[in-house]
Amino acid sequence: MDRQQEFVLRTIEERDVRFVRLWFTDVAGSLKSIALAPAEVEGAFSEGLGFDGSAIEGLSRISEADMLLRPDPSTFQILPWRGEVEPTSRMFCDILTPDGEPATADPRNVLRRQLEVAADMGFTAYTHPEVEFYLLKSEELGADGQPRPVDHGGYFDHVPGGVGQDFRRQAVMMLEAVGVSVEFSHHENGPGQNEIDLRYADALTTADNLMTFRTVVKEVALQQGIYATFMPKPFAQHPGSGMHTHFSLFEGDRNAFFEAGQEYQLSTTARQFIAGILKHAPELTAVTNQFVNSYKRMWGGGEAPSHVSWGHNNRSALVRVPLYKPDKGQSARVEYRGIDSACNPYLAYAVVLGAGLKGIREGYELGPAAEDDVWSLTTAERRALGHDPLPGSLHDAIRAMENSELIAEILGEQVFDAFLRNKAEEWDAYRHDVSPFELNRYLGIL
Amino acid sequence: MALSRRALIAAGLLDVERAERLLGSPEFEGADPERLLRGLALAADPDQALMGLLRIAEREPRVVELADDVMAHHPLFRLLGASEALGDFLARHPEHLGLLALTRELDFLPAEPEHLRHELLTAVGADPSAPTPVAGLVGTEGAAALRVAYRAALVDLATRDVCAADPTAAVGWVAVELADLAAAAVEGALAIARAEVRAAHPGLDTDGVRLAVIGMGKCGARELNYISDVDVIYVHATREGLDEASEAAAATIAAQLIKATTKAVSSPGIEPALWELDANLRPEGKDGALSRTLDSHVSYWKRWAHDWEFQALLKARTIAGDLALGAAYEAEAAPFVWSSSQRPGFVESVQHMRQRVTDNIPAAEVDRQIKLGPGGLRDVEFTVQLLQLVHGRIDETLRVRGTLPALKALSKSAYISREDAHDFGRDYRQLRLLEHRIQLKFMRRTHLMPTAGAQLRVLARGVVEVGAKDLTSADDVLKLWQGTKRRVRGLHQKLFFRPLLSTAARLGDDEVRLSPEAAQARLAALGYADPRQAMAHIGALTAGVSRSAALQRQLLPVLLGWMAEGVDPDAALLGFRRLSEALGTTHWFLAMLRDSAAGAERLCRILGTSRMATDLLEVSPEATAWLGDDAELVPRDVEKLWGEISSKLDRHASDPEAGMRLVRLLRRREQLRIALADGADLLGAEGVGHALADTDRATILGALRVAEQQEYAEHGEATRLLIVAMGRQGGREIGYGSDADVLYVHRPLPGADEEAAAAQALRLAQAVGALLQRPLAPAVQAERRLQLDADLRPEGRQGPLVRTLESYAEYYERWAATWERQALLRARPLAGDDALAAAFVAAIDPVRYERGLSAAQTTEIKRMKARVEGERLPRGADPKRHLKLGPGGLSDVEWVAQTLQLRHAAEVPALRVTGTLDALRAATAAGLLDPEAARDLEDAWLLATDARSAVVACTGRAGDSLPTNRQELRAVAQWIGYGKDRAAALEEDWMRTARHARAAFEAFFYPDAS
Repeated sequence: MDRQQEFVLRTIEERDVRFVRLWFTDVAGSLKSIALAPAEVEGAFSEGLGFDGSAIEGLSRISEADMLLRPDPSTFQILPWRGEVEPTSRMFCDILTPDGEPATADPRNVLRRQLEVAADMGFTAYTHPEVEFYLLKSEELGADGQPRPVDHGGYFDHVPGGVGQDFRRQAVMMLEAVGVSVEFSHHENGPGQNEIDLRYADALTTADNLMTFRTVVKEVALQQGIYATFMPKPFAQHPGSGMHTHFSLFEGDRNAFFEAGQEYQLSTTARQFIAGILKHAPELTAVTNQFVNSYKRMWGGGEAPSHVSWGHNNRSALVRVPLYKPDKGQSARVEYRGIDSACNPYLAYAVVLGAGLKGIREGYELGPAAEDDVWSLTTAERRALGHDPLPGSLHDAIRAMENSELIAEILGEQVFDAFLRNKAEEWDAYRHDVSPFELNRYLGIL
Repeated sequence: MALSRRALIAAGLLDVERAERLLGSPEFEGADPERLLRGLALAADPDQALMGLLRIAEREPRVVELADDVMAHHPLFRLLGASEALGDFLARHPEHLGLLALTRELDFLPAEPEHLRHELLTAVGADPSAPTPVAGLVGTEGAAALRVAYRAALVDLATRDVCAADPTAAVGWVAVELADLAAAAVEGALAIARAEVRAAHPGLDTDGVRLAVIGMGKCGARELNYISDVDVIYVHATREGLDEASEAAAATIAAQLIKATTKAVSSPGIEPALWELDANLRPEGKDGALSRTLDSHVSYWKRWAHDWEFQALLKARTIAGDLALGAAYEAEAAPFVWSSSQRPGFVESVQHMRQRVTDNIPAAEVDRQIKLGPGGLRDVEFTVQLLQLVHGRIDETLRVRGTLPALKALSKSAYISREDAHDFGRDYRQLRLLEHRIQLKFMRRTHLMPTAGAQLRVLARGVVEVGAKDLTSADDVLKLWQGTKRRVRGLHQKLFFRPLLSTAARLGDDEVRLSPEAAQARLAALGYADPRQAMAHIGALTAGVSRSAALQRQLLPVLLGWMAEGVDPDAALLGFRRLSEALGTTHWFLAMLRDSAAGAERLCRILGTSRMATDLLEVSPEATAWLGDDAELVPRDVEKLWGEISSKLDRHASDPEAGMRLVRLLRRREQLRIALADGADLLGAEGVGHALADTDRATILGALRVAEQQEYAEHGEATRLLIVAMGRQGGREIGYGSDADVLYVHRPLPGADEEAAAAQALRLAQAVGALLQRPLAPAVQAERRLQLDADLRPEGRQGPLVRTLESYAEYYERWAATWERQALLRARPLAGDDALAAAFVAAIDPVRYERGLSAAQTTEIKRMKARVEGERLPRGADPKRHLKLGPGGLSDVEWVAQTLQLRHAAEVPALRVTGTLDALRAATAAGLLDPEAARDLEDAWLLATDARSAVVACTGRAGDSLPTNRQELRAVAQWIGYGKDRAAALEEDWMRTARHARAAFEAFFYPDAS
């Protein structure tokens, strides 16, 4: 029991909160919610709230379906879109086994474990995501069978009277109201495509924030009569929605990635971290890009990185070391550009961090930086430079992950197994489908 | 004048050359060397004392004059020989040498706390008589003045300590004075802080804030070490009737005062810091506000505090600042402390405390720790505190802070015996004395025994009376310490459990009497879920004046502790009572438990985890004796068992029914022996399988013999029967209560009628099965009957139960399907005619070993395996938890081994074995299997086999899956050897091991798929 819990209870009283939503995330990254009456909150803090996990993806196979949810009071927020009259609030939860151990199948616990690994090595991990998504006129497809974007603007375009601008203003306000700090927002390349960058925070908070972010964005869109989607690649001809994330490690109050005088001011730790991510990128791609559609983004051109490479301020590389002012050593960081907006952020951050930490632990060597535009190289050139391709499909990614001891260790056996099973089912369903592409191309001539 | 080396050695100097050189220094000119040596001989470490003396002399030549008068100034030598750090201090501040002149009588009582407070406040220029003293000196100057005054007082204290006639007895007052001196230092620092904050914030009402410093831990309990963090909590108050804004301002001022106080004590400086002033025990730890109002503390306790925080508050005592406010704090805290044993999380927090005693000792330090570990200081403190918390709720006389006063109070109110209190008080002081002497040398926070002989010798000389010769070598001091540790190790049982027994047994012969409530409170604190029932068991076991009751009273204190460490203490105690009652007055049982600690500990563990073993022990309690004797826990081999069976059957030849009963009793007995050996971690998974298979084989041999006797007596001899083991019995890798897969082969005697012979063979086979299964009178209790299963015979259930040798030979020659060849790999003659057995093996060897595997047959095997995976798994079972048929389970491993055997046994004779692991190892040795894959497969086989045995052992029911019930899973994990509360670890291990084995299986079975 602590002051944060007390704060939650007091706020519930003072603001006359009628419902408290307990949020947690399944293995696939879907947000789950249980509503609680205010009177039950105190009990949930001390003893946890029992629930039947058998219907939740990833929890269904573990030893007992009866699980406990324990709300994390530091995540308490009033939800603004439910109105002020009968306010609703939410808290993220940890999932526990009936005897109070953290459940191995809880994605939040997976990330927490990885952060403990980092802490044991003396690091605190911070992340800063840039989330892209599309705004559509509605969930319904147009007459041409395509989604209908709300506008036809491009990168950084100011669209006068645009729906998008209103939307971004409203969304940013609401995000700030639920305690998610926004750094930046603008129109992206695709029609109706927007990007909102969250302020950097420790990795667990960022992952919680991303779950909130998706909900807020969807809610605001609904209020404005439009539809927001985080689908990795809704349009074949327009860029997909990535979630480039900047990672940094701190030792106490010192940025461990910064070392003055080194190439790009990168410390040995940073180089090993990058080497770890690159070496294990094929294995972790199934987690960072978890849907069939994710691979349409990766291999569909645009700015998506599809080859293992790193570079200094090179937007074609999988890992980019951004340019920052030399006197701002504290902002040294590396950007992983592989993740897409539909990932499970807990698991995605756990695997990227885990791979980087392994690089540090085992002292991986980092190869030379890519200086060219990786997209414009020929296949043979890429091979010569050692830019191996990332998995080409969900199927390839599953295969690469299946054989990875590292990913099994990071996710834990239960999540590892549940995740692979879930993805194999998705791939099977996809293979069964006869797509419009096939009908258009073959029906007329065969 | 030159001194002889002998004189130097006689004075105790070790580095003689250096001593000669130092004594020749100009500083010592004019001193009488012999007198100097006489002084040095008084020091625990003469070499260090000499060096210290010289360093002081460099700054203050008069010290040599002082030293010259040895008799008056022997404290100088004692101190310099005990503490290099304080010697350095005197070299820095020779003005304090006056303290060592010691013309006054040394008194061996703690200095008055008021006196110490006065000294330190005066040193910083504060008025000790002011209600809130404010220092005249601030900043580094103030801090230096405070620290010098503290160390001067410390020199005085240490001098009296090292000169005490009985240093062990002195520990009590030394610890008190150290705590009071620390308190005085905090008071002085606070006076500095007041002056600094006043000056820095002239606009703030500094004087309007009352601040009290509450000492926690050893400082609160007035039992401080020479050097240790001083744990504190702060509470502040404002003058009444202030608005919220000034309350916030008060919190700011309090925080400023605390920061300045901490700085005066702990910040680096020319005169080094004293110790860490640690406020991390405050509400919310590092994240919490530095100081709170009393109301805020109370509401924190009411709503949020952890149980351990109340245990920490047991030591809380006001040490500085506003005494009235501190007293109010103590008064508010007390009810929370003393009701904490009633809170729901108490048991867990006690276990947590207990763990702090025994865990987390770096391996390199285990043998050197004075504080941690069994027999360490914390062991004493833990037990005493636990008793205080459990009984102090009712009995207010126990509400004292220090360990020594608490021991006294506990014995006075008869919660522990006077003798025990005396003994442990002495041992506690002994340990503290060692700790004090080790810390004193460098004023470093350490709790480790030195390792070097020279240092140990110094320690030995330091813990005895001045000049005493009774303890002088390194060995002596180690022996002294080991002895103390050994006694302290038994403390917990002695103080905690023994009184339970005299209470439960309602004895009048012990001075200790607990109320039933007090006794139950103690048991609940250890994790007994039903303490009332537990007391009833203890009462039943120990009541009366019989010899066994007396022995039980001696034993139970230890056993109750062991049982509490198991998964289910209540079940263990119940099982133990049933066992004790079954054994009645047999004396060997209790004597064995008394004399064999290993045996008794095993028994407690087995009773708390294995329902099967408990049930079996109850019907054959005499088997308990084996637990004390490893030789008895070695499984008997087949020859030995058969020897016993055949002589039993001979004796009961006239009554086959009675003979068969003895055979089945023997099987039950051997199963128990194996289970006990398994539970005692004496048998691996492979060993358990072999032993159980041998036992069943001997049993079947017995049954066949009885069947033959009856049959031949009735119908004459027409044929000979052979029973061949198949499946896991063939491979000697069965579990508790497994069926036996068999084939029946017969060969008519020359001249016998074939049909009559076949009929006789069938009757024999059926009789064997019936003899093993039939209910007996009197019944064999707790028996898992042996079921014979002949489904692997040619044509399966449609085929005849028994065939002749020729019929088998012809069938296998002409019709053997690949799966039948695979099954024959495990065929092993079990019971029957030797010649027939040899002939059968000769007939099947070419079939199973010499035909190799064609491509089509390989495909057939793969398909068969795939079908088995799809079909055999029980409905609703989770394949990932299925140890036999799930991915990476036993079946995967067996199929790899068997496929290799079928394919290669023709050219590699070592593959002609029936055991799975034997086959795998032979294949690996022959280069047919990648060693890494072989290891993955073997690991999975061993863990799966272990877990299957454990499921039966723990739950009493056969099961092929890891239990989903959490309690059962915890027991299984403990039975396998994972330790307590490691259910999740077992789950993760199995999933990982099985995944690796599955990968190895797939790489072998489907090498072309990538």
